[in-house]
Amino acid sequence: MSGTVKRVPSIWTTGSTDILNTGTWRSAIAVHEKRPAPCYGVCPVDGDIPVWVQQVRNEKFKEAWQTLVENNPIPAAIGRTCHRPCEGACNRTDFDGAVSINALEQYIGDMAIQEGWAFPAPSVELDQKVAVIGGGPAGLSCAYQLRRKGIQVTLFDANPELGGVLRYGVPEYRLPKKMVAAETQRIVDLGVEVVTGRKLTGADVEELERDYSAIFIAFGAHEPKRLSQFSKNDKRALDGIAFLRSVRLDAPAELGRKVVVIGGGSVAMDVAGSALRLGRQTEILALEGREVMPAPEDEIEDVIEEGALLIDGAMVKTVEDVSGRLLLHCIKVELDQNVLPGIIRPIEIAGTEFILEADTVILAVGQDPELTDWKDRVQVAKGMVKIDEDYRTSHAGIFAAGDVASTERFVSTAIGDGKRAANCIARHLGQLVVVEDAAVETKEVTFEDINTFYFPNQEPGERDKVDADVRIAGFAEIRLGLSDEQALNQAKRCFSCGSCVECDNCSIFCPDMAIIKDADAPLYYKVLEQYCKGCGCCLEECPRGAMGVKEEKK
Amino acid sequence: MKADSNRLLLSGNHAVSHAVKLVKPNVMPVYPITPQTPILELITEFHAAGEMTGEIMTMESEHSAMAAAITASLTGVRVFTATASQGLLLMHEMLHYAAGARAPIVMFNVNRTLGSPWGFWPDQTDSLAQRDTGWIQYYCENGQESHDTTLQAFRVAEQILLPTMVIHEAFYVSHSMEAVEIATQDQVDAYLPEFNPPHRLDPQIGESWGNTVSQIMFQNHRRDMGDAMERVLDVAKKADQELEELVGRGYGIHEQYRCEGAEFIIVTMGSMTGTARDAVDELRSEGLPVGLLKIKLFRPFPVADVREILSGIPKLMVLDRNYAPGTGGILYQELKAALYGLEGAPEIHGYLAGVGGTNISPANIKEMVHSAMGEKPVAHSVWKG
Amino acid sequence: MGYEINEEKVFNSGHAACPGCSEALALRFILNTLGKDAIAVVPPSCIAIISGPQPLSSMSIPVYQTTLEASAASAAGIKRALISKGNNHTNVVAIAGDGGTYDIGFQALSAAAERNEDIIYICLDNEGYMNTGTQKSSATPSMAFTTSTPAGKLSPKKNVPEIMVAHNIPYMATATTGYPDDLARKVKRAMEIKGGLRFINILTPCLAGWGIPDSAGPKTSRLAVQSGMYPLYEVENGESYTLNYGPNGLSVADYVTTQKRYRHLLAEDIELIQAEVDHSWERLQKKF
Repeated sequence: MSGTVKRVPSIWTTGSTDILNTGTWRSAIAVHEKRPAPCYGVCPVDGDIPVWVQQVRNEKFKEAWQTLVENNPIPAAIGRTCHRPCEGACNRTDFDGAVSINALEQYIGDMAIQEGWAFPAPSVELDQKVAVIGGGPAGLSCAYQLRRKGIQVTLFDANPELGGVLRYGVPEYRLPKKMVAAETQRIVDLGVEVVTGRKLTGADVEELERDYSAIFIAFGAHEPKRLSQFSKNDKRALDGIAFLRSVRLDAPAELGRKVVVIGGGSVAMDVAGSALRLGRQTEILALEGREVMPAPEDEIEDVIEEGALLIDGAMVKTVEDVSGRLLLHCIKVELDQNVLPGIIRPIEIAGTEFILEADTVILAVGQDPELTDWKDRVQVAKGMVKIDEDYRTSHAGIFAAGDVASTERFVSTAIGDGKRAANCIARHLGQLVVVEDAAVETKEVTFEDINTFYFPNQEPGERDKVDADVRIAGFAEIRLGLSDEQALNQAKRCFSCGSCVECDNCSIFCPDMAIIKDADAPLYYKVLEQYCKGCGCCLEECPRGAMGVKEEKK
Repeated sequence: MKADSNRLLLSGNHAVSHAVKLVKPNVMPVYPITPQTPILELITEFHAAGEMTGEIMTMESEHSAMAAAITASLTGVRVFTATASQGLLLMHEMLHYAAGARAPIVMFNVNRTLGSPWGFWPDQTDSLAQRDTGWIQYYCENGQESHDTTLQAFRVAEQILLPTMVIHEAFYVSHSMEAVEIATQDQVDAYLPEFNPPHRLDPQIGESWGNTVSQIMFQNHRRDMGDAMERVLDVAKKADQELEELVGRGYGIHEQYRCEGAEFIIVTMGSMTGTARDAVDELRSEGLPVGLLKIKLFRPFPVADVREILSGIPKLMVLDRNYAPGTGGILYQELKAALYGLEGAPEIHGYLAGVGGTNISPANIKEMVHSAMGEKPVAHSVWKG
Repeated sequence: MGYEINEEKVFNSGHAACPGCSEALALRFILNTLGKDAIAVVPPSCIAIISGPQPLSSMSIPVYQTTLEASAASAAGIKRALISKGNNHTNVVAIAGDGGTYDIGFQALSAAAERNEDIIYICLDNEGYMNTGTQKSSATPSMAFTTSTPAGKLSPKKNVPEIMVAHNIPYMATATTGYPDDLARKVKRAMEIKGGLRFINILTPCLAGWGIPDSAGPKTSRLAVQSGMYPLYEVENGESYTLNYGPNGLSVADYVTTQKRYRHLLAEDIELIQAEVDHSWERLQKKF
């Protein structure tokens, strides 16, 4: 062979493009971020719903419960009684129906009771003591949150048992007593001193102040509103909450054959449902049209199924007593739209007069706190204890929340207020309380942020309901909890708006391989700035709006 | 024929096929075209009979044949293909590509007229039109030379890393039967080393070929190709000498026939050379100082050699069996360019003789010599024959 | 939840594809599924640009850049060379655009299919000559704007997938970037079926050429499937058809109205395309 040296051709390729910096091309970079879901945004207890629903989906049930009880110690009860703003706000609503969050909450709450899960003991025990007056939702919530911080709590309640409206208002068929008992006991077991059967008044404040560093008043609203058409002494015109209490105490007030319930809220529906179960012909007269009645639609639907006649958009003008029966002279009304929110001004519709006959009328038109004994201790405004944004009353060291201080008469609102009030009380006591609020920095996830391709249509699965004819035969619970399969299916329906579930889409759809999984990253992934060209595919393909964009100036 | 003899009566094309068999290419993409077809037919027969291994690829076009040849070659194996005329033109793009890829493919081309109109005749325009593609080109005058040159072509191509085209003309060579001495397998095995290039398409190596380059990279690459072409002259001479040592037959990269004391030299390429040899013999016997220069290696053109050989010769006559409309005979142009500025450069008569396969006899050539001797040459090719 | 795709890192970052490029995304799943025992052939196209500027490559396997019409022949040449050296394991894959496949490269492809060359041929189909600035190819669908069909293309897209099926090759599949797991699975399937030409047509929406936002490649690819413009299916041995993803109730209007290349369409034009799509889908459905 010739000795000529072979020359290597000049253009064989040996290097890799990964030394190039294509990151210089972009003007914005995608970032992983936790964004608030709409359910979170409206949740009265600030519950991190996407997180615990995801834990259910991953079958980490106890973790789900732990997430739930961060903000709400009684999920079995709230899972049955919440007015569910979360489901109204759910991004899935306009897609194929909201996720049945409330049913899932019940599922986890019930599981916790069945499994006997207990709250962990506080990590510290402090000397400070707080008196909580009222063992209803707000008081229970506040007592629980204070105890978790190690603060000593005495919980006072006028009733023989804790639970407040949950125990003495909401009917058994919606919330079994045993659930309330189990969940309140779990709070008590956290080391809460309980004093029942004692009604504290303003006169007790000095004594309490001697023993306690702060007082929290949350004894609710028990003074029923009346309508002027009905005499206060007429035994045929009962008060709704008194009636419900009598039913809860297994000594129902006497009712005539035909009952007319006046009111359009949850209490009215509970009254009607209870009357039906006591075998009474029941009619409901509501001032508002059905669409705007304060009671949730499913509660209205329940009583109608059970045989109640709903007459909405109408009011009683006068009452006539005819041979022992009450003749209610009614008229249809429209609500004046030109009034401030919170004010209701009916406008009669001429020529729509009609008459209802009743043996018993039950008034369920709201109730006010009884503050006669407290007026000289704390400032009262509009019939309620006046509080500032930190739940402080006018009296230093006395805080208040729940129905006693709010017109938002929802049990879950009371839970949330109780929690927030506890934080304020703790701060007042010199504790450091850090509240994380995901909503501060980032925009709430809207339906447009959801990539629906990743979510096949799946009809919502609500709790099965017992047939109406069966359920009016007694006070057994009318909604059956979700089965395991139903619960998982519901959990899988959750978009997990704004909460990364590590699906890897951001990484998979990056044409530049610029997003990698990183165990050290706060949100599981790292964007490689050297390569990211800023196309936004990751953002678009994130199924759940858990990414955002950061503009970059070059 | 003796049983132990390697002498066979073969057409020029089959002489090529025998050479290819000895060379044992790994991949042979082929496509039929007259008058090349017998080359591929005998190869596929050898293959079917188990006398050859390797991959025969029956392509759907010459273009694809060359495309497959290039990649097979870059994968680091020996590759052969053959074509003619229109087929070569269809490959044109890939000829450049092969050279750029430094793929040492050996291809045999049988010269045939280009359409339109259709014809099947010997004419070198097809391959001469590929003179700028970066291929080494050898022109052969008979089957024996084609056989031996094919062996040399693999040696040169693989050493230089440039594709190489070996060429003979339609019918006059491709289909004419003559006795051809076939090299033995031992001779060829001793002559041709294994082809095992260090750079190749191989996942174990991971190198790629053909990425987009910058202007300066491209220029450097072309310059490298030029350097390689320059080295061909020595490498080809050596390859010829070493084959001659083994088989006893050598050709040089050009041949001077009876040029001693010549004052008039005929320059030819391909089959015309044999005819011109007869004419020279007759003219010498007439006492005329006429010699013959055969150009065998046309690319790279042996400029230095030609200038040395032709320095001081008063007159040349170039015979072109090809025609480039607008410039005339291509060998004539190349020769003029090669001799430009040479002190004592000869006058050159460019004759277009045998274009389209018209028959040129020794008598025709003698007649041309006689007339050229008495004339001043014009500055362009002149039609003869 | 999420896609399960096993990737071996072959496709490198730092490549020159446009931000959000679907071809780059397709290449990622092709190459990272093929793994390192492979050689690629790439003709002129955006793929060639993405391959990298000398002396750098975005692909950690040998890549040979061939001429526009020669991909299948070039790939076959490599495969035969490997076979001649006794290497039967290295996958040889040609990755070409639709111009290089449906048009100028079709002769070589058809021939390689006829010879049943043991190669994988992948067409990254962005429905036009996008690298040269959006000209019509025979893969351009009806009425789409290109710079060479400024009033919209007057003939339908050539049905190369079915033409390839008609070659009775061992494997033909359609895939697209919006279904990356399906795409990767098809590459894997193609690798498993040795001993013949395996063809995958991958729809890769061109952001600039189709007039869609940088982030819309995968989404647009899914719309193509969901609207019935581009069903995802696979065929083995020219006869065994499997549907992977077909139309799911979306209309052609849902697809075309997101792309600027269709913005000249009138309602009746969209109806015509819808009729064409319905007809094709009806014919295809009979084969499953």
